Amino acid sequence: MIQLEGISKEYRSGRGRVLALSDVTFTFEKNSKVAVFGKSGSGKTTLLYCIGGLERPESGIATCFGVDIHSLSEKALCLFQRKNLGFVFQHGNLFNYLTIFENIAFPLELNGFERKAVVKRVSELLENIGLANAGAALPYELSGGEVQRVSVARAIAHSPLVLLADEPTASLDSDTGRDLVQLMFNMGRDQGCTMIIATHDPDIINLADARLPIQDGKIETEDK
Amino acid sequence: MSFRYLKFWIKTAFLFLSRSARSTAVLSLMVVSAVSVLIFLSALAVGVNDAMIQNSIGLYSGHILGDLLPHSLNTENLKIDGVAGVLKRSLIPGILSNGDSVETIAMVAVDPGAELKHAAIWKKTIMGRYIQNGENSIFLSSTLAKQLDVQTGSILQFNPAISKKLVKLMVSGIYKTEIDYLDQGIAFCPFEILPVKTTTWRAAIFLKKGIDPGQIIRRYRQLLPKSLEFKSWQEMMPALLQLIDLNYVSMGIVMVLVFGVVSIGIACAFVIFIFKNLREYGIMKAMGVTPREIAHLIVIEVIMMNLVASIVGILGGFLAVLITGHTGIDLTYFTSHNRYFVVSGVIFPRLTFYSLCLPPMLAFFFSLVSAIWPAWLIARKKAADILRSI
Repeated sequence: MIQLEGISKEYRSGRGRVLALSDVTFTFEKNSKVAVFGKSGSGKTTLLYCIGGLERPESGIATCFGVDIHSLSEKALCLFQRKNLGFVFQHGNLFNYLTIFENIAFPLELNGFERKAVVKRVSELLENIGLANAGAALPYELSGGEVQRVSVARAIAHSPLVLLADEPTASLDSDTGRDLVQLMFNMGRDQGCTMIIATHDPDIINLADARLPIQDGKIETEDK
Repeated sequence: MSFRYLKFWIKTAFLFLSRSARSTAVLSLMVVSAVSVLIFLSALAVGVNDAMIQNSIGLYSGHILGDLLPHSLNTENLKIDGVAGVLKRSLIPGILSNGDSVETIAMVAVDPGAELKHAAIWKKTIMGRYIQNGENSIFLSSTLAKQLDVQTGSILQFNPAISKKLVKLMVSGIYKTEIDYLDQGIAFCPFEILPVKTTTWRAAIFLKKGIDPGQIIRRYRQLLPKSLEFKSWQEMMPALLQLIDLNYVSMGIVMVLVFGVVSIGIACAFVIFIFKNLREYGIMKAMGVTPREIAHLIVIEVIMMNLVASIVGILGGFLAVLITGHTGIDLTYFTSHNRYFVVSGVIFPRLTFYSLCLPPMLAFFFSLVSAIWPAWLIARKKAADILRSI
C-alpha cells in the first residue's frame, strides 16, 4: 500500500514559484492499477516522481509499503528504488549503448542476480513481449512500440512492488498503445505490482482499478 | 563494492565506451598523442644526454680516469669485464719552440694505434693527419699552431722539463675541438720517440655500452691497491652532469605541464561526453543507481579509455623512437659550436624505463584527476531534473 499525506511540491523557475502539487492525500491499494490523469502541467509527473523518490516534496509524507521514502538517506533511497520500483517513461528511455537483452538485464544485475537467473529471466521477458529474437538489437533498431514493450519488461524485470509509468502510450498510435497497456497490465498483474500510471489515454483510464484526476496540483475527485 | 558489482560496472563502462566508439576515439586522441609525443620527447632527451656524454668522454677523456698509476701496472690489469679499452698516456711538461716562438705545453705521449681505436680527437683534425706509431711527429691544436706559427710539415723542437735532451718533431696534423683544455697548451706525440719516461702514467678507460663507471671503479678498488685514484666522468665533468640533470628536470616539467593542459582538455571533453549521455545517467539514477556508483562508472570509463589510449600512445611513441633511433636525427647544424657535441651532432633517441613508463603514468594520474569534475557534476544532478530536461 502507498499512502500520500498532504504532499506539496513547488518549483522555482523563470515564471516564479509554481505549485506543482498542493496538499495531495491519497492511498494506492496493493496490486491496484491507478490512472493519474489530467491536463499537461497538472502535476501528474511530479506526483509520480514524489512517489518514486525522485522528487522530495516540501511537505507531506509518502509511505511506500511502510517506508517513509523521503526520510531515507540518499543511499538507502537508491537501494529502495532499485529493489522496489520500476519506471516506464514516455519515450522508453532505454540505454542507447546497451542491447535489448542488456537493457532488460540491467536492473537484475544491479540487484545482484546471478548470471544464470538473469539470462533465464530476460529470455522469459523477451518471449512475453514478443521480441525473443531481438535480444542482440540496439534500441535504435526497434520501432516506438517495441521500445515501449522493452521498457515495460525492463521496469518489471526485477519484480518490483511498484510500477510507475509516465505517459507510456503518449508517443504511440492508438492500436499500439492499447496493446502496450494490455501487456503492461498483464505483466504487472502477474508480478503482483501496484501500478500507477500518469496518462491522457482513455484506454488506460478505463482499464484502471482507480482513477485519480488531478488539476493544478490538486486532486479533483476520487473515483473508484 | 563487491567483485560482482565491480565486474558489472566494468562491463557497463566497456559497453558504453565501445558502442560510442567514435566519441571515445576522438576523446582518446588527446591522450594518445600526448603519450606518444612525450615518450618520443623523453627518448630524445635521453638521446641528447647520451650524445653529450658520448661526445664528451669519447673525444679524449674516457669514462674513467686513472691517474698517477705506477708502471708496474699495465693496461691489461685494468681491462676487466665491462671495459672496452684502456689508453695509456703520459704527461710531460716542457717547452715547444719554432725558432723564436716558444710555448710552454704539456706533451701527452700516447699509443696512436690504440688512440685511433677508442678516442675520437683525431676526428677533429682540420689539417694534415693524426700521428702514427714510431714516427717523430706531433699533433697539436690550431691555437698552438697559430701561436708557434707552424703548419703541417713544419719541424718543432720539444724540450722536456725533466730532461735536457731535445726532440725534433714534425707537425703531422692540426686539430680544433672548441674545448679550452684541449685547444690550449697541449700536444700529442707517440710514446717511443720521447727520450724520457715519467714515473707514473695516466689511463683513459672506455667502457662498454650501458656500463656504470661507478661499478667498474668499485671493482678496481677491490682488485687493485687502494692508493690508486680513479675518477668517473661524472667527477671529472660536473658541468656536464649538471646539464644532464637539468635536461631531465626540464623534461619532467614539460611532461607535467603538457599533461596538466591535456588533463584540462580531457576533463572538458569528458564533461561534454558525459552530458551527451546525460539521459543514460538520469535513467540510471531513476533506477536506483547511487551517485557513488555513477562516479565509479565514470572513473572506470576514464581508466579504460586511458588504458587503451596509453597503450596506443606507447606503441606510437615506441615506433617513432624505433625509426629515429635507428637512423638518428642529425642536429649538427645546431650543435657544431657546442663543446658537448664536438664529435657528432647526430642524436639517437633511446627509450629507458622512465621515458617509456612516465608519460602513460602521468596520463593515467591526470586523467583520474580530470574525471573528478564530470563525476561530481553528474553525481549531484537530480534524476528528476535530468529526466525533465531530455
